[in-house]
Amino acid sequence: MTQSNLMQDLERQGVSRREFLAFCASMAAILGMPKAASAAIAKAVESEKRPILVWLEFQDCAGNTESFLRSGHPTVAQILLDTISLNYHETLMVAAGDQAEAALEDTVAKHKGEYIALVEGSIPGDIDSGYCTIGGRSALDIAREVCGGAAATVAVGTCATFGGLPAAHPNPTRALSVADAVPGVRNLINMSACPANAENIAALVVYYLTIKHWPPLDQYRRPLFAYGTMIHDACERRAHFDSGQFVEQWGDAAHRHGYCLYQMGCKGPATSQNCPNVQWNGHTNWPIGCGSPCIGCAEPNFWDVMTPFYERLPNVEGINSSRWLNPVGLSLTGVVAAGAVAHGIGETVRYRRGHRPSVDEKARVDGKEQGKDASHDEESRK
Amino acid sequence: MNAVPSERPFRVALERVYVWELPVRLVHWLLFFSIVILAATGYYIGDPFFSGPLVMARVREVHLYTSIVFTLCVLVRVYWAFAGNGYSRWSELIPVSVRRVRSLWKSLLFYTFLRREPDEYVGHNALAGLSYAIIFAVYFVMIATGLALYQVYAPVGSPLRVFAFLIPFFGGLQIARLIHHVGMWVILIFMVAHLYFVVLYSTVEHMGIFDSMLSGFKFVPRKTSDKS
Repeated sequence: MTQSNLMQDLERQGVSRREFLAFCASMAAILGMPKAASAAIAKAVESEKRPILVWLEFQDCAGNTESFLRSGHPTVAQILLDTISLNYHETLMVAAGDQAEAALEDTVAKHKGEYIALVEGSIPGDIDSGYCTIGGRSALDIAREVCGGAAATVAVGTCATFGGLPAAHPNPTRALSVADAVPGVRNLINMSACPANAENIAALVVYYLTIKHWPPLDQYRRPLFAYGTMIHDACERRAHFDSGQFVEQWGDAAHRHGYCLYQMGCKGPATSQNCPNVQWNGHTNWPIGCGSPCIGCAEPNFWDVMTPFYERLPNVEGINSSRWLNPVGLSLTGVVAAGAVAHGIGETVRYRRGHRPSVDEKARVDGKEQGKDASHDEESRK
Repeated sequence: MNAVPSERPFRVALERVYVWELPVRLVHWLLFFSIVILAATGYYIGDPFFSGPLVMARVREVHLYTSIVFTLCVLVRVYWAFAGNGYSRWSELIPVSVRRVRSLWKSLLFYTFLRREPDEYVGHNALAGLSYAIIFAVYFVMIATGLALYQVYAPVGSPLRVFAFLIPFFGGLQIARLIHHVGMWVILIFMVAHLYFVVLYSTVEHMGIFDSMLSGFKFVPRKTSDKS
């Protein structure tokens, strides 16, 4: 299966050599490599033995698979990843039931330490309750076996990377990310986002085929080529941000003119991904490009900390911080100021009633030590 | 201890004591001005209420450069808490000795009208000192959240990128942003209270507390230690 001729497969699917080279050039661009690297990429993708992929799907909406399939036309990435060497994929494979499970067992047994496991969806930590059981086995069990024997594990999408929606408060299934469910898993690479961008996953595989090792990662084990830049820094609407031009209401003139969505709760300033450059669905568009604020889907716990999606700050105990923080802060400052005035009046009253002696003369005594001070040593006195 | 205030002679000889050394005074005023600038620019960044060519870019720029001044001031003051004179020592801010804890209680009673005389001291009273220790803790939270928010924009290869670990520490950039915003109000509230207490003390103590932060000198009754 892995030895099948890529060019023949591409031809059969109606992808020309020109399109293939364009794909290699775009991969070079995503990876931040110079244009000349596309030739090396083409050579590597054509000739290298492609790694065997196993796609596990747990608690999720199949959105990452959908993201793959919903590209405008069958892309090279799709063919490279699913037609050629995907040995197991519940949604895409023809086999079902025992046959499907046999394909997985077969791959895990025969290619131990060679295949790459792609995991989509979070893994319920509460195995006794029977959440997410496939072929009679718990997701945790399957993940530990399959990821444990993989040369590398790629967590695809935010559910697999950080727990995602199933792990959002109150997390009824005790959903875990791959990193938490399979501690010490070898070569874990997180491709977060909801869904993960198929172009980035293709670029990851291409990087591995061309360079022969895995790309440099950030602190969440996400490849820097895709997650090294803030969305805010590469945003096409950044100029409007810098000039303080913001959408204040849905559909207002600023919104229609494509101004910055910061005031509408855009999480671009808190989110790293290459969305502004790579975009989605074959470079058609991306959320901010069509007037919707970024919801920060590539970041840990985004469902808990990036919500409300249309407010700048997270809620505190259900209270809308973006709306109330400044009024409350101002009011408290006012209360303290009023308290100070009231206290001052109290002091004045006490003073007037003669309880306080007044020091009405200041006699300056310079350069003399005057006995010991009640509260301090004398080193600093003059 | 329970000297009736009226027994204190009305004409008290005062002596001039050098309390606040130059670094303390410098840091105080630089902190004051940087906080005013940081709060004004920070408020705008949090709620941009007007627009103009590059106004947000400039406001952020001012905020970032001012934050450097602010951070250095805080660090210098912390260093001075170990290197400075007796009045600026860390033990004046964090009450660990029995005497300071007692003084804390006396100050509290004074503020709540339960005690007529403020506690006698030359530098900070214990309660004020403790409030400064707490506000410095808030400053460090502001610096840490600010670094977490800034480091994602720091140029690739900038040493400030090492503060990336602060993002998971605070539970995400949005939480850091929220804490940073709340911290601004905490500091502003402190400033109002601080200003009032300085006015109060300059009125009831006549030690020249206002001028002391400019000149460094306080005027202390010569017989402060006479407790009988």
